[in-house]
Amino acid sequence: MSFKEKVKPYLEPIADGLFGKQRGMRGPQLAPVAPRPIGLMMEDLLRLDDEAWGTYAFSRDVLNRKFTPEKRAELTHRAMECGREYAQKMAGQYGTSNPTELAKKMGMQVEYPEMPKSAARVLFAEFKAPNHIYLYMDAVRKARTTMIEPGVKAVLTDKLDIGQLLLAHELFHYVEETYKKEIFTRTEKVELWAPKPLHNRSTIGCLGEIAAMEFARTLTDIPYSPYLMDVFLVYGYSKDAAVRLYEEIMGLAGLRPSNPENYSPAT
Amino acid sequence: MEYVIGVLLLLTFFGLAYYCIKGYNLMIGFLVITIIWTVLPMLGSLVVGSAFLEANPILNFGPDNTLVNALNSIYQSAPEGWGTTLVNVCWGAWFGRVLMETGIASTIIRKTVELGGDRPIVTMALLNIVTAVIFTAMTGAGPVIAIGVIVLPIMMSLGIPKAIAMFSFMESVAAGIYLNPVNFAQYRAFFIATDEMPDFTLGWYAAKWGYAALAIALVVTTIMAGVFLSRSKTSHAWAAQTAGAQQAKDAPMYTLILPIVPVVLNIAFNFSVIGGFVIAGFAALFLCGKMKGGFKASCQLVNKLYYDGVVDTAPLVGFLLTLPMFNKVASYASPYFNAVLGPIMPKTELVVCIVFAVLAGLGLFRGPMTLVGCGAATLGVLSNVASFSVPFLYAVFAIPTITVNIGSCITQSWVAWGLAYTKVESKDYLKLSIPTLYIISVLLYVLTMFTMTGLDQVWYA
Repeated sequence: MSFKEKVKPYLEPIADGLFGKQRGMRGPQLAPVAPRPIGLMMEDLLRLDDEAWGTYAFSRDVLNRKFTPEKRAELTHRAMECGREYAQKMAGQYGTSNPTELAKKMGMQVEYPEMPKSAARVLFAEFKAPNHIYLYMDAVRKARTTMIEPGVKAVLTDKLDIGQLLLAHELFHYVEETYKKEIFTRTEKVELWAPKPLHNRSTIGCLGEIAAMEFARTLTDIPYSPYLMDVFLVYGYSKDAAVRLYEEIMGLAGLRPSNPENYSPAT
Repeated sequence: MEYVIGVLLLLTFFGLAYYCIKGYNLMIGFLVITIIWTVLPMLGSLVVGSAFLEANPILNFGPDNTLVNALNSIYQSAPEGWGTTLVNVCWGAWFGRVLMETGIASTIIRKTVELGGDRPIVTMALLNIVTAVIFTAMTGAGPVIAIGVIVLPIMMSLGIPKAIAMFSFMESVAAGIYLNPVNFAQYRAFFIATDEMPDFTLGWYAAKWGYAALAIALVVTTIMAGVFLSRSKTSHAWAAQTAGAQQAKDAPMYTLILPIVPVVLNIAFNFSVIGGFVIAGFAALFLCGKMKGGFKASCQLVNKLYYDGVVDTAPLVGFLLTLPMFNKVASYASPYFNAVLGPIMPKTELVVCIVFAVLAGLGLFRGPMTLVGCGAATLGVLSNVASFSVPFLYAVFAIPTITVNIGSCITQSWVAWGLAYTKVESKDYLKLSIPTLYIISVLLYVLTMFTMTGLDQVWYA
């Protein structure tokens, strides 16, 4: 590579800055979004496959850029298998797949606090070791209101009990803590940068979340990914934020959002 | 009679402290107290004894020291004098916006996190270092919030309890401020006029005290956060983070050095702070390809960033321009304070350090130790009862102002934002910040004793 070619990428931004073509005024930081019915968004998201949800889960992980799309897909499937396996194992061990009963038999302390409102980061539920689960009722209450929007019930079905789903998800984190020496979500690691000959190996945080979602899906027997709840629950706080999240997820999946004008809610 | 006036002034001082603690508007509070402290000492000068007036010529009004001149110095010259400080604040805020717009700040955070991985303590320690370095140059609530919406969800996604994540981040921001040239210029103006004592530069201060102060604050914060984390229970939250924080693409690697350029130029060459911001800011915009839109669009971008930056600092500006009136009027109130408090105020550097270390907590809630609260009055009293060098007084007041008020107090605008954002209870934050602020304060007062005491006469105002 010649010196000119080497220097070009460094000089281009400066040259473009000084002599670049005229462009219009920059828009606001968050582009405005067209309103979308929640029923339509749920219908679209229902069609996403496991890999698409895996891509979304990884997009929230600090180590996302360390993986190729193929590796992400592989890890997603293995984490989901792990979630399913432990759901069946726990259901068998405790003789129930009902999350409330499971929580009781596992000795969990479940609390139902309210939560301050915010659309920037909506907190649904939390697990704190060794055995505390907090289900934030503000989100649950808002979800009940969203549930009666046109077309939502037809997509999410009568099987959805938000409280049970959130509880089941958090139960997995308890299971993960209990089996941390052997469970896939804790034993799978990625090599990060370190000066040779040192090693810098780290677990992958989103695997636990993917597995927890599958664990919850298996226990509650809902026919879709619990990740749908991210958009569904955010909708109760901010419709714009929910639309942005939906558009982002569709974009990550390589799909175009549906046209709301053609939407007729299923009954 | 001077004792009566002194006690009345003291009561208004406690009234101001109560007002600040209640979280009312600081600008109005300081404006009102300035008026009260103008009226009481000046009316008092009509009734106090002649010996008191002779000992305090500032209160001896006459043809050489007219009342109008005194009022002009309080309400006109004092805020005008702070204009030079204010422009630094505005340019610092612009630079902060540039680092956000170009993605440099977020890229540094992401690269750091990718180095630490899914290990909470390691990643938190690395993020603390990076946050402190970034805030040696960035200024204002806007940049803190912009970095906070990246750093806090990352820490919480690693299972770090939200109170510890927030504590760790906010204290690291405060640690960086120990070397921030804008804050240095801002606080320096409390002690001397901008053109006085030219040798008291950021470079001199950093070498003598600032680097060590930053390091101590950062190390203690990280150790304390690690201790809190090791005691806390693992937590996992199901939360939806709406888009915005994660979307920016990486800035080029060679631009990641730019945040520290203004500070390095200022410390190494005593180069102009604003000049540093302009050089590094425009370099960032060009090198990150933000000026590709041609001349008109680039002008609009620069203008927009300046507008956003100034808006970031707007809540502070009114307060900053009222505070100098208060600082000035404190010199008229000081003789009365001296009469009442003189016998009990510390008069040696060692005792000042001990007293301030013990009372560090009074810097919370805009109390009498913080310069961005009613500590300006304490400074007025302290500097009038005994003679202390300017760098010593600077260090003595910088500790409660930066570590206690800015880093640990829920009345700090961005801490209040963080509490709402992370849903951390105020008491949970204070449980972590108060022990830490005491440890940092004690260590920094020890540092002050070793490095800032016994200075030559040239360092006295």
